[in-house]
Amino acid sequence: MNKDQTILSLKDASLKHASLKKTSLKRLSLKAHINTLGPFSIDIKSNERIAILGPSGAGKSTLLQIMSGLHEHDGGIEFLSKPIKQMSVQELSYKRAFLAQHHETAFNLSSELIISLGRVARDHDPELVTIIKESAKAAQAEHLLERSYQTLSGGEKARVHLARVFAQLWDQQNGLLLIDEPMTALDPGLQIELLSSILTYCQDRSHTLVAILHDIQQAIEHFERLILIKNGKIIADLPSHPAPHRELECLYSMRLEKLTRPGRKDLLIPSDPGCSQAI
Amino acid sequence: MHQSAPLHGHSKNMSNQTMLLYAIALIVLITMALVAVILGPVEINYLNTLSAHDALMESYILWQVRLPRILFAIVIGASLGLAGALTQGLFRNPLADPGLLGVSSGAAAAAAGAIVFSGAWDWIMPELRVWILPCAAFCGALLVCFLLDRLARWLSPGSVMGLLLTGIAINALVAAFIGLSSYLANDEQLRNLSFWTMGSLAGANWMIVSLMMIVLLGAFIYTQRLTVQINALSLGESVASQLGINLKQLRQRIIVMVAFLSACAVAWCGMIGFISLIAPHIARVIVGPDHRQVLPLSMLFGGLLLLIADTLARTVAIPAEIPVGIFTALLGAPFFLSLLAKQRKTMI
Repeated sequence: MNKDQTILSLKDASLKHASLKKTSLKRLSLKAHINTLGPFSIDIKSNERIAILGPSGAGKSTLLQIMSGLHEHDGGIEFLSKPIKQMSVQELSYKRAFLAQHHETAFNLSSELIISLGRVARDHDPELVTIIKESAKAAQAEHLLERSYQTLSGGEKARVHLARVFAQLWDQQNGLLLIDEPMTALDPGLQIELLSSILTYCQDRSHTLVAILHDIQQAIEHFERLILIKNGKIIADLPSHPAPHRELECLYSMRLEKLTRPGRKDLLIPSDPGCSQAI
Repeated sequence: MHQSAPLHGHSKNMSNQTMLLYAIALIVLITMALVAVILGPVEINYLNTLSAHDALMESYILWQVRLPRILFAIVIGASLGLAGALTQGLFRNPLADPGLLGVSSGAAAAAAGAIVFSGAWDWIMPELRVWILPCAAFCGALLVCFLLDRLARWLSPGSVMGLLLTGIAINALVAAFIGLSSYLANDEQLRNLSFWTMGSLAGANWMIVSLMMIVLLGAFIYTQRLTVQINALSLGESVASQLGINLKQLRQRIIVMVAFLSACAVAWCGMIGFISLIAPHIARVIVGPDHRQVLPLSMLFGGLLLLIADTLARTVAIPAEIPVGIFTALLGAPFFLSLLAKQRKTMI
């Protein structure tokens, strides 16, 4: 596939209300709120690394849900030059993986089994055992294979699910990996390690990576394109270099200080006067 | 979809262990069956029946009464165990059970309706009349299953409480219908009806046993293809669909299977509770939560449990026979309470 080819394109896409999961007791208010999210229009090129940034409740997760192609939607979504509505969930799962923020398991499955479920949609999978091992290694979950899920800590659970997602697209090229703040609950060291293993994984296979991130610096450092979302609308869609200082300030409604570093990307840090005095 | 269940994440050494477990469970089951053959109001000596020809009565009892009954208990128990394991997988909930959720009573209510009202349908051929009951039971079970699936997801996804309360409501509704049927029934129909509410394996004969064996074999082969997908379902519905599982299709397949198995059991033996709750639990304690093992083992344990309960029911009060449903309830209700106690954190 050509590097500049579009892998995913959204045209005025928004979620249909009926398909929303009822996670809130106040369904009416949820509906009213969802109404204002979207529609979104984006073209994503093959092999791009895109970070989605925005304050909480801005519609980042909704955008990622729309991209996953699993929910009923208005507008048009094309994945690999095909309307996503025409693709079966099985067909989609070969090329698109999704890592959510929270996970629940009903029964106490073993890590190995959970990782193997990444490849559940394949009828014939001769390489399965090797792929489980390799993807566990890539997600630094190799030592967790024998453990059962409920005995794992939060960070270990995140690694097991990352390995599951790795396994899903392990032998594919030009796929799409969607990630929803998977590293928020982890300690900083592990965050960096896992992010770099995700980046290498995608680079090795020419997978496109779309990630919702909390950390502005991680986004600027490792991703080439930023999509900024506020109040359910894309307010900016720009390259991460040079660092979009003004736009990010506007996005989070706070002041950021820009530190230029020779030979490296710019550093943006929150500059609250109160904070600096305390130091 | 899944032509064969591939070895999803299993080392060889693990499957050897599981094989051993299956072998042990099978041996226990066969031993129990052989013991159960001897027990009963009439004493039977194996050697006698095999060698001597004058032991006609013993041989008749062995071949026409005891053996079909014992096989029937195993087969019905196995289908209940399988139905239970499937229900728990579908609702992702270890407390789900076709009996507690009202699937069995739905089948029983439809069967009761059929007993009472089919008298008026003279135009149905007598040969076809035998099938009215199982068909009605299947329709009833299927209806309740679909209703449950809708209601439980609409009420509170993933909540134990919501599901069990829905089950209570459906059970109450169905009980009203059974009550109405027995109110309208004449004496003979009433006697037939009381059979449903208690559950008994006394109706065993070779025809039904072989039919149930075929049904069970078919169900087993069919569900083997779903086990890996049920595993994926326990990661949550959204994750399962991200992994390429067609949720709607999977749910429908499981529901039809559960309804079919519960209806078969209800149509021929009435309501036998709690086997479908306990068997998958024992299986899960022994082999862990992987549905590829839980399903077959639930069948083995379901068969074993019902065999024990039925043998007790036959022999405790010789020459009288206590309906086996009473025994399974005596066994199952305390077990259910202990499960509730374990789950109390997730209840709220």
